Amino acid sequence: MSDSKKNKVMKKNTNPWFEAWRRLLQSKIGIAGLGIIIFLILVAVLAPVLAPYNPFEQNILARYKAPSSEHLLGTDEMGRDILSRIIYGSRISLQVGLVSVSLALVFGVGFGLLAGYYGGKIDMVIMRFMDIMLAFPSILLAIGIVAILGPQLKNAMLAIGIINVPRFARIVRSSVLSIKESEYISAAKALGAGDLRIVFKHLLPNAMAPLIVQTTLSIATAILEAAALSFLGLGAQPPSPEWGAMLSDARSSLQRAPWVATFPGLAIIFGVLGFNLLGDGLRDALDPKMKNV
Amino acid sequence: MRKLILTTFIILVVMSVFVTGVMAQEQGGTLVFGRGGDTVGLDPIQVTDGESFKVTQQIYDTLVDYTPGTTEVEPALATDWEVSEDGLTWTFNLREGVKFHDGNPFNAEAVKWNFDRWRLEDHPYHIGGEFTYYGYMFQGFPGIIQEVNVVDEYTVEFVLSEKQAPFLNNLAMVPFGIASPEAVKEYGENYFKHPVGTGAYTLEEWRQGDRVILKANENYWRERAYLDEIVFRSIPDNSARFMELQSGTIDMMDGVSPEDVEAVKSSDGLKLSLRPSMNVGYFAMNFKFEPFDDVRVRRAFNHAIDKQAIIDAFYAGLAEPAKNPMPPSIWGYNDNIEPYEYDPEKAKELLAEAGYEDGFEFDLWYLPVPRPYIPQGKFIGQAIQSYLSEIGVTANLVTYDWSTYLDKTEHQEAPTYMLGWTGDNGDPDNFLYVLLDKTNSNNAYESEELHEVLVEAQKTMDQDRRVELYMEAQEIIHKDAPWVPLVHSTPPIALKSNVENYVPNPTGTEKLHRVWLEE
Repeated sequence: MSDSKKNKVMKKNTNPWFEAWRRLLQSKIGIAGLGIIIFLILVAVLAPVLAPYNPFEQNILARYKAPSSEHLLGTDEMGRDILSRIIYGSRISLQVGLVSVSLALVFGVGFGLLAGYYGGKIDMVIMRFMDIMLAFPSILLAIGIVAILGPQLKNAMLAIGIINVPRFARIVRSSVLSIKESEYISAAKALGAGDLRIVFKHLLPNAMAPLIVQTTLSIATAILEAAALSFLGLGAQPPSPEWGAMLSDARSSLQRAPWVATFPGLAIIFGVLGFNLLGDGLRDALDPKMKNV
Repeated sequence: MRKLILTTFIILVVMSVFVTGVMAQEQGGTLVFGRGGDTVGLDPIQVTDGESFKVTQQIYDTLVDYTPGTTEVEPALATDWEVSEDGLTWTFNLREGVKFHDGNPFNAEAVKWNFDRWRLEDHPYHIGGEFTYYGYMFQGFPGIIQEVNVVDEYTVEFVLSEKQAPFLNNLAMVPFGIASPEAVKEYGENYFKHPVGTGAYTLEEWRQGDRVILKANENYWRERAYLDEIVFRSIPDNSARFMELQSGTIDMMDGVSPEDVEAVKSSDGLKLSLRPSMNVGYFAMNFKFEPFDDVRVRRAFNHAIDKQAIIDAFYAGLAEPAKNPMPPSIWGYNDNIEPYEYDPEKAKELLAEAGYEDGFEFDLWYLPVPRPYIPQGKFIGQAIQSYLSEIGVTANLVTYDWSTYLDKTEHQEAPTYMLGWTGDNGDPDNFLYVLLDKTNSNNAYESEELHEVLVEAQKTMDQDRRVELYMEAQEIIHKDAPWVPLVHSTPPIALKSNVENYVPNPTGTEKLHRVWLEE
């Protein structure tokens, strides 16, 4: 074995992220989740190519047509092609997931770092406020926020972002607390490192693993919550092909045309499943105790 | 001997079957009526919604009533009446021996007390609400009823300040049910929970948000009701309600989704009853919002929407396209009006003429709840949106919860909105004046020309002249195009096939005392 090759192997083993990635690819669950998500992203990006019809084009004289070669998943209550709507709906669901979770991530991490690092009164105020938010069932809080802002998809995204902030804040705060007093932080302080440098160079990277897992799982719940809000008429407004809204409109035809409700429902399950599986896979892969197993 | 016993036994069995058979056809049983919402209140003068009237109609009687299934007036608490030459004094002879549920006698004093309570704002019991329908029908407080006089115990006289042609029809409306004065005095503000009338049923229990339970009035002045008990259950979701009907936990329901009409027709245990059409579903454009102040834009919208397609898709065909704001079932309907035919090209031309060839954007409010005239507001709203996009205008769909929606449209806050109306009394006045007169319109349509015609029609007693005036009114409305009149629907009601003798009224609610259940 030559030296250079040896070096490479060494390097590979020492980068924890690469190690985690390798372990993720070894877990069947993680692969499945990743596969589903990549598929969803492709569908969303290629929607105009993939969709056989315009998702908004109505033909009210061809409502509730059963699945056929013409309309693979049938038509809905307005005579629109369900397959095309589900394809375009994936864009909305992914968008909701990403936007609302990014929002929660930014504010949650910010509050968590502040509370954990400075402690004292700041910690007290921030975390009590987070506790208050956690005291409400999250969907109820989201309904309340949307009711105030008005029923629109962007408000629903905002609401879902807000209700997810406390979870991120808690995760970051607890991991900051657990290492704040460790010796290498003291050493960094002794060397004259500023607060920002300590926080972003030393504290935040240590919270990365649980954050990534929480982010992935949160996207799954965000998609579900957005669908729930739209189902209640508080999210996406007609004629938007949001999956939850499609499900809601299909209620009146459950008996006559079950496919109208079935396919958007399956799409929601599929999307949520993808992110949940990936989350589980990541949790295993990033667990330090699993190292070198 | 054995043979004799057997024969006797057979005869007894046959007889008992026969006897119970006859009994079951006539008397007894509980009817469960499934509906979309709960009653708001049980004091009929204080409510305006069909779900309340559905129940108060069973508890109260009015002086005169509509013959079931029509809007012809027939005697009820008043046995006969006459009107003076000048049309201002109406004298009613009242039915003798009628008692309120609380045992107090019904007489001229009670009638006077009720009318005084409704019309006089300084009456000590003019409380508990706004007496909305009295104000509507008799033009404010005290309105056109100047005096109510007790002539003798069973004769009462009304003196009007001006002639009102539909006076008798108005008196037959459900809100003008006669309440027991003693009960109103006893319960005051809370009377709406403790209704006492002379009707075929008395209130047994009202579980708010869930159900109203009525029991037969044993001393009803007409024949006692066949059913012992009626339960009105609120089941807001149409399809959930229909599933309950199919599983047999309710006996009848209104608000049948068009999707389910076929299922009712084809299933053995169910039957369909059609309410005579006396309504209109419409799409209104608010004159306060540009560009709807331009008649060319409003006419363009009228040309843009294919009503027949909407009817085929969302009404299971149980409706007819509207060209006037009132339905053809009402006298005075102007059938000579040439409808704005479905013609997107013409619509585009009109828009271009008005200077909007590049289109414009506006909010379209769709009905948040199923109504008999527009059973699926969200779907029909989307259909209208799509038709309008074909002529190049962009409608953003908006809605609110039902009470907010009504409140905001009443305050003229909606640029365009869907709404409708079910007639109360079969008079054209009840559509044209109530919906489109400048004093009432929700879309800032304020035509002086129309106002003059409608007011003259109210004061005219000659029927032929009234017909002429209402014909003219419809022409003015057609020319101004304040709405896109969409449909006149025939609302379906689904019943179990053993529910007999149910006669739906065009007014939207009916008495159920002649309904019986077959074994």
